[in-house]
Amino acid sequence: MWSILSVAAALFAAAVSAVSTSGNRLLVVLDDVAEKEAYGQFLGDLTARGYEVSYETPRSEGLTLFHLGERTYDHLLFLPSKVKGLGPNLTPNRLVDFVNANGNILVALSSKVPTSTSLVSLLSELDISLPVERTGTVVDHFNYDTISAAESHDVLVLDAPSNIRPGLKSYFELHGGVLAFPHAVGHVLGSGPLLTPIVRAPATAYSYNPKEQAEVLDADELFAAGQQLALVSVMQARNSARVTVLGSAEMLQDKWLDAKVAKLGGKSTKTENKEFARRVAGWTFQEIGVLRVNSVEHHLQGSEELNPGIYRVKNDVSYTISLSEYVWDKWVPFVLPEDDLLQLEFSMLSPFHRLNLELTGTTDDAAIYGVSFTLPDQHGIFNFLVNYKRSLLTNVEEKNTVSVRHFAHDEWPRSFVISGAWPWISGIGATVTGFLGFCAIWMYSKPVGKKN
Amino acid sequence: MPAKKNAAQPAPSAAATTQASTTATGSVPASSPVAAPAAKNAPAANWDKVLQNIYQYYMKETPQRTKLIDVFLVFIAVVGALQFLYCILAGNYPFNAFLSGFGATVGQFVLTISLRIQTTAANKSEFPEVSPERAFADYVVCSLILHFFCVNFIN
Repeated sequence: MWSILSVAAALFAAAVSAVSTSGNRLLVVLDDVAEKEAYGQFLGDLTARGYEVSYETPRSEGLTLFHLGERTYDHLLFLPSKVKGLGPNLTPNRLVDFVNANGNILVALSSKVPTSTSLVSLLSELDISLPVERTGTVVDHFNYDTISAAESHDVLVLDAPSNIRPGLKSYFELHGGVLAFPHAVGHVLGSGPLLTPIVRAPATAYSYNPKEQAEVLDADELFAAGQQLALVSVMQARNSARVTVLGSAEMLQDKWLDAKVAKLGGKSTKTENKEFARRVAGWTFQEIGVLRVNSVEHHLQGSEELNPGIYRVKNDVSYTISLSEYVWDKWVPFVLPEDDLLQLEFSMLSPFHRLNLELTGTTDDAAIYGVSFTLPDQHGIFNFLVNYKRSLLTNVEEKNTVSVRHFAHDEWPRSFVISGAWPWISGIGATVTGFLGFCAIWMYSKPVGKKN
Repeated sequence: MPAKKNAAQPAPSAAATTQASTTATGSVPASSPVAAPAAKNAPAANWDKVLQNIYQYYMKETPQRTKLIDVFLVFIAVVGALQFLYCILAGNYPFNAFLSGFGATVGQFVLTISLRIQTTAANKSEFPEVSPERAFADYVVCSLILHFFCVNFIN
């Protein structure tokens, strides 16, 4: 069974090895197909990595995400489009269905173009709020680009993001680089555990509507300010499909990929937008941060039999799980992020054991984590469960069910082995011997009736 | 072993019955006149007399087989008490060993009491169809079952 599965997995992996683990059909939705020239480098990079890129406008007749119940594309990229709604083929429901069918979506917004209502609804489904009236631009009077936005302050220059919190893989970390966010739309994240902010606005930034709030910004009407505002956020659904919101579509354009920017009072430097865009697209389209479970093995210590269906209480058992991580174009051994642990639960309804799995070995493309432990003194149906769900990494939930039986009647230690039982053994001996002696004398004695 | 030692006593006890027969005849009437004055001046001597009286009556009137049963009962009670004492002092691990060891003495005690009831001549009317031989055969079978159970249970 396992060999068939692994052969199938290997074939599947070979078929898509050049690109994402979840397919290479990418649909780019933009206002006018001619606009793709502005994103030439970014889209060319995607094509070079092996994606089959299709371009459609929301008005196009033949545009459909599903054909006969199957996805017709694996990934969606939304560039800003002036259409108010995206039409009957890209309704928010369709897009949610697309995510539910393991499709990935990258949404790029721009403050120059009002966001489509379809996308606003889709993002609000995911607990990501955009400014009201679908327009809003993020400005910062301390972190703007003095070369291109000396007056309007709407091109943010930020240090490249550091790790959001400990225990996450640092896929978006660019040491020492700066990123330019021209005409960005900020968004606010809800409290859902599936959402992870990648770039937050600096403390001095705020969002306003240039049309209605150009003169004065009433504090009551402020959408969000400071670290509340996220510029780039990612959402990974429970089925590991990914949705990314990129606040500034213009940072993907050729002119901003390697643009020279200067902070207030600083020197002019080259932005890291190109590398950042590559990583955002790569993560969203499942080229990085994808985990694979190659095999799960458990066995009784001292026994050769793999994955037996039954154990006995208090058995000593070893468990190993082999994990690989996909990095751009190949599977490599999965190394845990710092400050993070891979844990094994041995559970019947609730966990009886929750143990840290240690790295026990590495092969060319897999890391093997394992632990040995003694089963609890409780019989029943148990699961070996590895439940590893982290932001930025696809979910791993491996459940292997085994029975745990109680001691058989001949597996207990004999009483004469236990010295504490000797007094009672001799007690039985005395009783039996006394009984035999009693019987002997009884039969030797003269019966009562024949006394006289 | 003590059972045999005690069981070997019927000879002296039989001698005692003959000897006690003279005193017993004298003591049964003697106890009633003594009771009235002894209540006033010598209660200790009276108790002594009563106990001696009971002992002599027992030695005289009890058949030898019933005495044998009584000796065996005392032996079993002592063995059981020792096992229980050990459990209290040293703990009950392994518990099945305690249960079977102590249970063996309790069960044997109950069975022996039953044998005593069925073989006593005074109870003949209660068990008209059970002869002493039949009672003893029942006793042996039941005891063997009990021993089998206890040895099995102590593992």
